[in-house]
Amino acid sequence: MLVTWRYRERKSLIQSFDPRAWVIFYACFLASSLLFWDLRFLTPFLVIALLAVFASGVTWRETRHVWLFIGGFILFFSVLTFLTGRGGMEHYTEEHTITSLRAPFEILGWRPTLDITIERIVYAISQLVRVFSVSSMTVLIPYTLNPELYGVAFRGLGLPDKIAYAMELTMRFIPTFARDFQLTMDAQRARGYEVEKLRGGLFAQVRKLAPLIVPVTIHAIAGSEDIIDAMDMRAFGVGPRTWLKQLHYRRRDYVLIVAAVSLFAASLIFSLLGHARLWIPDWALAWAGG
Amino acid sequence: MDRRLLTIIIALVAVLVTFLLVSLIGGAINENLKLEEVGLLRFVFTGVGLVIVFIVYWLTRSSGAWDVGTREVVYMAIGAALYAVFSYLFNGTVFTVPSVSQVALRPAIAIPMFFGYTFGPTVGFFTGAVGNMFGDALTGFGLSPQWSVGNGLVGMIAGMAALFADKKKSMNVVLIISAVLAAIGTLLYILYPALANVMFFAPDEGIFGDAQITLFAGLSVVIGFVLVLVVRFAFGKNIDVAAAVMWSMLGNLIGIGFAALSDIWINGYSPAVAIVGEFLPAAGPNLIFAAILVPILVAAYAAMRQQTGR
Repeated sequence: MLVTWRYRERKSLIQSFDPRAWVIFYACFLASSLLFWDLRFLTPFLVIALLAVFASGVTWRETRHVWLFIGGFILFFSVLTFLTGRGGMEHYTEEHTITSLRAPFEILGWRPTLDITIERIVYAISQLVRVFSVSSMTVLIPYTLNPELYGVAFRGLGLPDKIAYAMELTMRFIPTFARDFQLTMDAQRARGYEVEKLRGGLFAQVRKLAPLIVPVTIHAIAGSEDIIDAMDMRAFGVGPRTWLKQLHYRRRDYVLIVAAVSLFAASLIFSLLGHARLWIPDWALAWAGG
Repeated sequence: MDRRLLTIIIALVAVLVTFLLVSLIGGAINENLKLEEVGLLRFVFTGVGLVIVFIVYWLTRSSGAWDVGTREVVYMAIGAALYAVFSYLFNGTVFTVPSVSQVALRPAIAIPMFFGYTFGPTVGFFTGAVGNMFGDALTGFGLSPQWSVGNGLVGMIAGMAALFADKKKSMNVVLIISAVLAAIGTLLYILYPALANVMFFAPDEGIFGDAQITLFAGLSVVIGFVLVLVVRFAFGKNIDVAAAVMWSMLGNLIGIGFAALSDIWINGYSPAVAIVGEFLPAAGPNLIFAAILVPILVAAYAAMRQQTGR
């Protein structure tokens, strides 16, 4: 049995567009925001993402878990970045220390020290903004893209019939397999399998994962026979495919696509001209005594 | 050749040539115009990877291994969805499994290898590439297309076993290539044992990809290689299991190698850091997972086929 994403019809901005147009916009948005580390350029991306979220008609109640999970994850990584300067070294060469916190104790002669520098703060904020924009746009997709239209949308984007259909099936299978995994885990737990106590050496751990991974995989393959039969009986792949639902671009879709492509082109030009690098505000530098 | 396919390839090559020109002569026109942007290079390497895949396909297209029928379409989707779900579950977000000696548990990699070997290179490539893409999207990080292509290569090469009629002979070639690749990686580790393991994070211990690589992680490719050999000769009679682990090993070494080497330009790593700090701690443990999980999957699938008579 298939489990579905929690899509429903909404009167919202995203769903007023053709799904193909929205996927193109999403791809351009993703690719463009990847090019930048400059907070001045990243902020508009955040604004677009927030606009999309608030105009999507997706309620807090529906998506609470997702937001909390992603929020926690992003915050964790940003704090990590801030504490360590991880990843930042590629973007700045000198650091201006604001203050240096030294732990009042020593561990084996090593005193934990936290250097708070202006570069690390700005870098952590930039990363937060960047990742948050990308992931909030990603979260919206399963809630706002009609599962009936996955296949025809990918086909309309130029993928061959078979690949488009494979993409559609992939998106449809993900929630199903997540459910199957949960069921398998519960079943194994009932038999005394303790996933929380995955101890032992590396080899023992990997071997202990087999009772989870193997049944889910083999069950998925065995269950696919019905789908294959159903597709074969409808002569899948014999001739050019027709789709039950047709998509038609309207004027607003063209506007969105043009906007998306220009966004990407502009981002590319800006980044090629060297405007995309990490930006440290002058006043902040002055404040840090740079 | 299909005209549309030709158009796509020409477009891809044209974009690559443009980037190459910009990086070669761009600096002379405007000194700001250098191809050093991290984001941009990701796309360049994604393109390079796709061109490699296409060349391999083009050279071996007469073989039936690349054909896509109804079955393959469904297996592609199953493989990609499973890979996405497993990588989401096991990348430390849902399951927190303690890492042993700087090696985190990423058993999901067995999925593209198994699907590639069992259902062919096209299914393998789709499983690895699309599965990794959706897996990243589930976690909220859709940021590394060149790693998606790398994962796709893992599955594709595992599936190239189907291109050879004589499985035993081809395995010997695979063995030699893998041994050379593993030896180069390990030699670099012996030369630079003090480099950091950039793949290892342990926030509670204050380690964020900056700890010196452990002996176990450094030698994990050798350990994995030996383990694969043990499986190969222990299952000498079951040629399917032996070939599956051998080809998975080669796929893993080349696919992860491609992604790690591209980080020399993308992240500005030195070649030694890319290989010792990134390639070894990623590819080595993958080999260990492959040597244990792929044979179990192959055997379980064979049992299922026998039982259901398919």
